[in-house]
Amino acid sequence: MSFTNSQIFNDALPKLEDVKLKSISKRYLKIIILNKLAMCAAFSGVLIAGKLFIEREAFQDNFWFIFSIVMTFCFVNFVIAILAFKKRKYAVRDHDVIYASGLIVNSITTVPISRIQHIEESRSWLARQFNLATLNLYTAGESGSDLSIKGLPHEEAKQINDYISVRINGNQ
Amino acid sequence: METSDFSQPVRQSAKGIIIIFGFNTFKFFKKFFVLFLALGLSLMKKKTFANLSPTIIILIIVSILIVLLVFAILKYLNFRFYVSRDDFHLSTGIFNKDNTIIPKSKIQNVYVKQNFLQQLINVVSLNIETAGDNKSEIEISALDKSTALLLKKELFNKNQVSTDSDSTLIDEQNTVFFKVSPKRLLLEGVSQNHLKSFAIIASFVFGLYYEFKDYVKDLKIRERIEGVIQLDEATLFGIFLTNLFIVVLAILFSLVFSVIKTFITNFNLQVVENQKTIEINKGLFNKVSLSLTPSRIQNIVIKTNRLKQYFGLHTMSVKQAMVNAKQKKNFVIIALEKTQVNHLIDKLLDNYTSHLEAYKPAYYYKRILAFDMLITAVIANGIAHVIFGSNVWWINLILAPLAILYVYYGFKKAYYKINDEFVTIGGGVIDTTVNILEIHKIQAVKLKQTIFQKRRQITSVIISTASKSVKIPYIKESEAKSIYDFLLYKVESQDKDWM
Repeated sequence: MSFTNSQIFNDALPKLEDVKLKSISKRYLKIIILNKLAMCAAFSGVLIAGKLFIEREAFQDNFWFIFSIVMTFCFVNFVIAILAFKKRKYAVRDHDVIYASGLIVNSITTVPISRIQHIEESRSWLARQFNLATLNLYTAGESGSDLSIKGLPHEEAKQINDYISVRINGNQ
Repeated sequence: METSDFSQPVRQSAKGIIIIFGFNTFKFFKKFFVLFLALGLSLMKKKTFANLSPTIIILIIVSILIVLLVFAILKYLNFRFYVSRDDFHLSTGIFNKDNTIIPKSKIQNVYVKQNFLQQLINVVSLNIETAGDNKSEIEISALDKSTALLLKKELFNKNQVSTDSDSTLIDEQNTVFFKVSPKRLLLEGVSQNHLKSFAIIASFVFGLYYEFKDYVKDLKIRERIEGVIQLDEATLFGIFLTNLFIVVLAILFSLVFSVIKTFITNFNLQVVENQKTIEINKGLFNKVSLSLTPSRIQNIVIKTNRLKQYFGLHTMSVKQAMVNAKQKKNFVIIALEKTQVNHLIDKLLDNYTSHLEAYKPAYYYKRILAFDMLITAVIANGIAHVIFGSNVWWINLILAPLAILYVYYGFKKAYYKINDEFVTIGGGVIDTTVNILEIHKIQAVKLKQTIFQKRRQITSVIISTASKSVKIPYIKESEAKSIYDFLLYKVESQDKDWM
């Protein structure tokens, strides 16, 4: 049995393109923004502290230069993070879970439900304020094949969690 | 102590005391190695250390040894194990008593090991691995070989009976399929990647140097070397000669190191073919005996390079699921003939065939390779510029053809084949590698595309199994998507277990 094009382009196969990927909750954008702002604040805080306490001339002379580089970096990072938000999508099919993310490097990962070892729903303090949750799907593989879907509405995360848990345990 | 009955709690062989003692002493001295070195050096210089006379120091060392010995004896006395109908029981601990019970069905792997000390007093250690992290491994460090083999059989006994009753067959057909000859080992050592050996040696030397900076400074090596070099520093040819000399020396060192390393780890390499499994025995100081179970194999990687191909040497690494990191590197069989590789693959993978149409990556892959090379060249130029000054532009004359060869071979060797059961991916630049995996063992599939590739409709497919991720690099998006759909369909429609 050899691999032929007709076989692979078989129309009967379920297609990735037919899947309607769902965006994660809009509220997660706020978390991203908060995180990025916190990061920027931390960076500039360190720099300003440096300005106040480090006496070295080389640092003092170039302070604004370094500061502007850091700020540009923060800004670019911020913009990319916001743009990339639209790319965070997921779908749960009958037999697998799909998660897509990334603006500059876009990736779509699919984990068959039959390969999931266990599933975990985690909620950070911030996520709880926005009523969001993160779903972690663990497979037996190296860390590369684990899946983490952030920013799901809590209710939905719970539903998916229940659905997959039942499926995993049903199989055994 | 020959035991064949494991139903009652037994201790390991009394020689275990020596093993435990030896091992603990070694560990102890390794931990305080630097301290001892400092002690030795200061003894040489001043005849005292922290106002202690040599006799007192010797007394201290002797008492430490005695304490270690007592601990070894106690540890030995408190180490008992037995095998019940379904479980393996182990109790250990001098002060904290630990009782471990492992159900036979949960045992993933049992292998026999023999380090140098164990070879001297003729005992082996038996390691029992369960699924999970490294800590779940149990080692019985001193057993007679026959006892160990019996115990191993006993542990696997239940498993076999429950599945089917061909455990008798397993005993019968043990044929030594492959035995490496010293000549092939030598060839294998010579044709290895010496850059790697060089990196190891270099890092070792630098590590030592860093640790003992002050002592080295005392030796005034720098002045001496400069003294030697000064002799012919006058001419440009002289500089060239010294550089050449250093390069040749480095290559020679790396070569010898590679050969020795190959010999030590693969001494007496033997592949034994059983009914269902394949067993690998090897090692000079550390003898290991491992078995490969087809159901647990996730990936098979076959590697060779130009030189090795000429000698007919192929390396096969088998990646199994649930093997701890330390053992992973041992599942490698070197110096195989092509036919032997094929035979082993046939054995480990049912109806595998490589006679399929090979598909190539898109031409975009060449661009990626060229880009890699460009970055390497820029970095190399930068480093050269910093170290040797601005008149080293000529290294580009060497780099350019190398880069072209890199791109050419990198693209030439890349291909992929897929059929109903297997994915085969070829690649490599200096090496030629072939990655094989079974479709039903896939854990996850991923499509990866950068923003630049999106415009050109290029995508990479990354296929993860429980032990490794492999990549089909830079193929057309439509192709990638159909592979993606196909693989998932195969995994999800079959109800086959991945292990």
